[in-house]
Amino acid sequence: MTPSSTLSGPSTTSAEASEALRLSARDLVKDYGPLRAVNGVGLELEAGTFLTVFGPNGAGKTTLLGLLGGRLRPTRGKVLLGGTALDPSETAWRARIGVLSHQGMLYSHLTAEENLRFYGRLYALDDLEDRVGAGLERVGLAPRGQDFAGRLSHGMRQRLALARALLHDPDLVLLDEPYTGLDPYAAAVLRDVLASLDDGRRIVVMVTHNLKEGLELADRVAIQVRGRLAWEGRGAELRDGDFEHRYHRVVQEASA
Amino acid sequence: MSTYLRQVYAIVWKDLLLEARTRERLVAMGAFAVLAGVLFHYSFDRSRVRPQDIAAGLVWMTLVFGGLLGIGRTFYLEAQDAAFQGVLMSPTPKDAVFLGKTLANFVLLFAVSLLVLGVFALFFQVSLGPNPGVVVAALALGSLGFVALGTLFSAVSTDTRMGETLLPILVFPLLVPMVVFGVSATTRLLAGRPVDEVAGNLRMLGAFALVAVAAGAGLFRFVVEE
Repeated sequence: MTPSSTLSGPSTTSAEASEALRLSARDLVKDYGPLRAVNGVGLELEAGTFLTVFGPNGAGKTTLLGLLGGRLRPTRGKVLLGGTALDPSETAWRARIGVLSHQGMLYSHLTAEENLRFYGRLYALDDLEDRVGAGLERVGLAPRGQDFAGRLSHGMRQRLALARALLHDPDLVLLDEPYTGLDPYAAAVLRDVLASLDDGRRIVVMVTHNLKEGLELADRVAIQVRGRLAWEGRGAELRDGDFEHRYHRVVQEASA
Repeated sequence: MSTYLRQVYAIVWKDLLLEARTRERLVAMGAFAVLAGVLFHYSFDRSRVRPQDIAAGLVWMTLVFGGLLGIGRTFYLEAQDAAFQGVLMSPTPKDAVFLGKTLANFVLLFAVSLLVLGVFALFFQVSLGPNPGVVVAALALGSLGFVALGTLFSAVSTDTRMGETLLPILVFPLLVPMVVFGVSATTRLLAGRPVDEVAGNLRMLGAFALVAVAAGAGLFRFVVEE
């Protein structure tokens, strides 16, 4: 565990899976005018990694996810997935990424099934009807497939958004504060589905300021402050009840 | 069907389904067309001006102003729940997204243009002349160019503080060629002139639509990418 703005370390999965998938971010910088939202971030993540990035509001966590997912173009640096450099206009790159945020990216006037079917068509999925059915089943919404997304509760919408994000079986899953506003049951469903992603063949990156939920599934942890990764560590070593103290100290020192 | 066309179709299907369920834009555009027709009906002295002589200009102006009411809200539903972010993060090429939204808008505006023709036929007793199909074709070509520019600039103006004010300021100057050639062709067709006489205007309307669609498809990604 070291203070660092570059996060790397051994994979938790087989060598074969690691060769198949690696996410690399090198010296990532993102400026918004005079504001440097992400400052020299480096990442080396292999298949099977679940990384949680903690940080206070305004630390640049969402911007970092935007850079990793290709939604934002870096001011400097680059991102590689499986050795291929990120190009936001490259459609094959985006087909490998699934994104879930506290906003569902759903159409209120489409039913749950129609929402998934629409996104499935955008991803040009062949076995679409099977995937839609399985996706709804996975998040416990199969009986609500004909309901309009706008009539679902926030927790149900978030579960539907999760089904949307995973519909195309992405290699890289990006989660931006996914637990925001969820009731305990919806949070448990989300946690179960996220746990099922730990199959050794994909990378999951979650950003959150919720320490408890962020630590539950993570095998890597980083703390981002003022755009930099100020600290990194292994999730398993952090479940000793001391992480909250450490988090506050890192944030305080990095903010000084 | 190729992947690209399937993605375009998905956008068209989604936009038209949303419109069928909300009817937000179609009702606004249709209501404007009818009200404009009624107001125009009372706005000039029929003993001095023949409706047939000015109908073409009024039809196109109604289409432009009414159309902008709907086209300007192209991305309104997309902004709710950040739905459009999901579309942009999918592997669908940005130009396919633009073409899908433009085609959906075209279907809506073309329906409104037929309504406008009907309104003016009713209130002004305007005859469509011996070639009503060519009149409709002229409106269709003009509508295609209009929605292409309108869709592009609607994306530009949606996230701005003065979006609804900004849109007409951006779009209207670019619509001048469409209005010039459209009014010219329609005036002659309503006057019963032969189709050969308006062939040049129709070609210009077609060229305008082609350039607008191509430019919109090429520029759209620069508008929507952060």
